[in-house]
Amino acid sequence: MTQILLLKETIKTFIGRYEVYLKPLGKFLLALIALLMINSSTGYMTKIDTFSIVLIVALMCSFMPVNFIIVCAAGFILLHCYALSMECALVVLVLFMILALLYFRFAPKDTLIVLLMPMLFAMKLPYIMPICVGLLLTPASAISIACGTVVYYVLHYITENAEAISALEAESMSGRFRYIVDGLLDNKTMVVIAATFIITVIVVHVIRRLPIDHCWTIAIVLGAIVQIVVALLGNLMLDASVSILGVVLGSVVGALAGMLVEFLAFHVDYTRTETVQFEDDEYYYYVKAVPKVVVSQTDKTVKKINAQKKKKKRK
Amino acid sequence: MINEEKVILMTHMQAYEDHAGKKDIAVANYFRSDYLGYQVLKAILAMTIVLAMLFGCYVLYDIEFFMKNIYQMDLLEYIKGLAKDYVTIVVAYAVLTYVVYTIRYAKAKKHLKKYYGDLKKLSAMYSKED
Repeated sequence: MTQILLLKETIKTFIGRYEVYLKPLGKFLLALIALLMINSSTGYMTKIDTFSIVLIVALMCSFMPVNFIIVCAAGFILLHCYALSMECALVVLVLFMILALLYFRFAPKDTLIVLLMPMLFAMKLPYIMPICVGLLLTPASAISIACGTVVYYVLHYITENAEAISALEAESMSGRFRYIVDGLLDNKTMVVIAATFIITVIVVHVIRRLPIDHCWTIAIVLGAIVQIVVALLGNLMLDASVSILGVVLGSVVGALAGMLVEFLAFHVDYTRTETVQFEDDEYYYYVKAVPKVVVSQTDKTVKKINAQKKKKKRK
Repeated sequence: MINEEKVILMTHMQAYEDHAGKKDIAVANYFRSDYLGYQVLKAILAMTIVLAMLFGCYVLYDIEFFMKNIYQMDLLEYIKGLAKDYVTIVVAYAVLTYVVYTIRYAKAKKHLKKYYGDLKKLSAMYSKED
């Protein structure tokens, strides 16, 4: 355990020291992975489906604010959808405009969640996000998770039905548009998953804020259980097609990720909890102080006792 | 000798100035009523654009119905209904915006008050040194 704590301290020191370089590198990698994923899942516009374009855009993103990555990703998605069909691009544009104009005015910091959610869905790990967000952010971030879920399912529907949409080329514009909108609105799986994530975030956050010992661990475990139960209930009630095994395994992985987040963000020693009570003119104070577990690194200094032998120069 | 207390205070102040402080100063440059009015106006504009887009999508979705029935419809009644829905939604969104930005303005003012308090403390430290 001491070794792990030491490793944590080393990582923190390393990040603190090289933050100037790590931040652009992180943004570059995030942009690169996001754009490559978009190209591999959609990739209808061959002009932007090249590694060189992705690399240039990712390099640009590394020196810009994080929200620029979202703008680039949205641009890529729109261009690919436009290459497939104008109606697809229209539906996706309306969705993005609603998110940008109505919600992200209030929560500009949450835009990253909307980018990460579809990426985690693609990696089959979306169940990590609600637990981690519930632990680290506010319940309002549940809306961002729901938005990310909607974005993923919209793209998923479009890619799944790309051939059918292309086949409708001869039909009228409203016919194609209706086909896409109907498919999206009838997606019960999307509704079940979005509702599950919203409830999980709220439950995890509420329990995490309770003044009880081991609240973070309880929040993680109960969050994972609630996630499974709500997804299964939703599945039964709406007759959706949520993979039960996926939910269970995903929630277990989510709980493990939550434990990792707890270790990194909230590692305390409940055995040394102190409860104190005092008062001033206006209030009584009941204070519970839980100490953090901190291991300071030992500074190793090598002291040479013996005098070094002088090397004989060869003549 | 380095005055540690002064360095700590200055570091905190600089960190605030570089991050949240920039936004807070921008917010506090407005009078409360001007700031809230500006944000509500932006919200109304944003919601109007979104509703216009949604209505466009609705028309496109059912364009055949609209084309067939446009001359038989009571257009005045239809527009009245639309306007009623528009006003209801926009007012609800404007109220939400007003509440959110009132809280943000109060928070920004509170943070800046603390920052100015720290500035005074720093100034007192300098005058003590002199």
